[in-house]
Amino acid sequence: MTRRAAALAVKYQGPLALAVLLVAGWFLAGAVNATTVTILVLALYYAIGGLSFNFLYGSLGIFSLAQPVFVAVGGYTSVYLYNTYGISPWLSLLIAPVIAAILALPVALVATRIGGGAVLTALVTLIVAEAATPLLIAIKPLGGAIGLYAKSPPRPTFSAMQYANGADFVRILLVINVLFLSLWLWWNRSRFGLFVTAIKDAPDAGESVGVPTARMRLAVFLIAAMLAAPAGVVYAQYNLLTSPDLFLGATALFQFIVVALVGGAARPWGALVGSLLITYLSQEVSDLSGSKPGAAPLTFAVVFVIMALIVPRGLSGTWERIAQRRRPSIDASLGPIAKRPGAVPGTPPPAAADGEDLTTRHGLTAS
Amino acid sequence: MYFAQLLILGLLSGAVLSLVAIGFTLVIGVGKIANFAHGAFVAAGMYLGYEAYVAWHISPYLTLLPALAFFGLVGWGMAEVFEQRGRKIGEVGELLVGLALLLLINGLLEALFTDNARSLTGVDIGSVAVTGISIPWTELVAAIFTFALAGGLHVVIRTSRWGRALRATAEDPVVAGLCGIRVPVTQRAAVTLSVVVAGLAGVIIAPFTVLTPDVGTTYLISAFAVVVLGGIGSTAGAVLAGLAIGVIDSMAAGYLSSYWTTLAPLLIIVGYLLARPGRATA
Repeated sequence: MTRRAAALAVKYQGPLALAVLLVAGWFLAGAVNATTVTILVLALYYAIGGLSFNFLYGSLGIFSLAQPVFVAVGGYTSVYLYNTYGISPWLSLLIAPVIAAILALPVALVATRIGGGAVLTALVTLIVAEAATPLLIAIKPLGGAIGLYAKSPPRPTFSAMQYANGADFVRILLVINVLFLSLWLWWNRSRFGLFVTAIKDAPDAGESVGVPTARMRLAVFLIAAMLAAPAGVVYAQYNLLTSPDLFLGATALFQFIVVALVGGAARPWGALVGSLLITYLSQEVSDLSGSKPGAAPLTFAVVFVIMALIVPRGLSGTWERIAQRRRPSIDASLGPIAKRPGAVPGTPPPAAADGEDLTTRHGLTAS
Repeated sequence: MYFAQLLILGLLSGAVLSLVAIGFTLVIGVGKIANFAHGAFVAAGMYLGYEAYVAWHISPYLTLLPALAFFGLVGWGMAEVFEQRGRKIGEVGELLVGLALLLLINGLLEALFTDNARSLTGVDIGSVAVTGISIPWTELVAAIFTFALAGGLHVVIRTSRWGRALRATAEDPVVAGLCGIRVPVTQRAAVTLSVVVAGLAGVIIAPFTVLTPDVGTTYLISAFAVVVLGGIGSTAGAVLAGLAIGVIDSMAAGYLSSYWTTLAPLLIIVGYLLARPGRATA
């Protein structure tokens, strides 16, 4: 490989990795046995929910335990619209995010305004998640505590999104994962990514140069809700069921957060890696214990405990630290001029480490 | 008549909320940790009382003493974990450790007892009739325990040297340390105390509550509502706010619909936070 090609490969390593993932996953889905397909469906489903949590938490530090609610919105939208109006779940993939965003708006208004950091937001969103179940049950057309079973068409059609073979669901979920990962990569390089970095690291300095802090916080919350909804659409089709217990049961409520935090919010791929790892582990543990019902949730819990005590930044956060230590800093190689963000065209400003005050870093003094 | 009945039922369930919230207000106020696993310890206490009765026929009230020792040890261990691991990473670290403990306790309870709902039947110590409804003594004992505990804690915190140390640490850990108070020990003691109170509360309410492994989350939320309303660190506030929320819940369920019971704490918290932002985080 020539040096030029190698340089290009490094520059486009994100899109390249995603393309490889998509192609490899697509063909792998057809080649593996049924058990593995089940694991892959679960893992890719958790990965989308985890990604929506990580996008919000990684961008702005908003710790939302309400993401399962927006996933459930996807599931209910899809099954209800299909059963009642015959609207294809494929369309629901587009409709559900809109509904999720509308429902997320009041939550977002509260969660982004109360201040008080991650703990308070976590508690308030946990209450939203807990209140969602009785609310869903109270809405009669949505099937109460039992939920809704997706009607089967007389003969299989494309528009029903119902497949006997789980491999098709693996492919759908894979495409959604890759799409969202690409979106996140693009977002990080766009002006929004810069806004978000500014808000997270130096809100006052950002505000003073015109970063729309309040609007961005609201927008990121709504986008995270929209990212969560399609996962519910596909998962409901996979189960042919949408129910409070499926999406908001005691174990379902924390699975996204576990895979997201174990994977780490520092990189977009965190949730996917965490999810594959944990789903595989919990399947193994479940097999070893003779399919005891509590085995899988306990595995999630134990992995989460290990993560919280040993690698609190998750896998991708630890990865980032190691990578930063090995790579000579861009500041040192380019001289003083590069220290100002945006001084070198095409390079994003160096991200500040957690807790580092950007105001002092750039010669400003904090008020 | 109906009103009086709802009022009494509300006060009784409010007493339970207060009991759970007393520990929570201590751990936030003095320990400076919003312990997400607080409700899970209540659930653990419930299953302890249940198992002791079902397996060995020990009355929950006799289980209280060994439970005291058990939760004391667990609480000190947990405080140690929070100090060593959680605090270093800052606020999110505490959140992570709390969530991890919550999931671990839920997972253990589910693995041991499955997630079927259970209830402890057989503990019957009579009942009294008030305004036409009969109230089991088990619920009254829980209410009396709440008031005794809250009163006792209030007196200790207001008058004793130890209580002064707690209050000083809650006010300003740094200055308290400069004055010779051993802040780490005080904070650990507060965390331990909160876990003990949560565990004992679980044992006490086991005879009249439906047990599921995740019931702790519900208690965490109501405890949070109570603490927000009653003021952080105030046991008297926790009791009053707990009773108030209990009565509101009961009235809402009686006159409106049962799902309002879950919504009432949410609306109270959200309303309060929006009306007075910043207060709850102090």
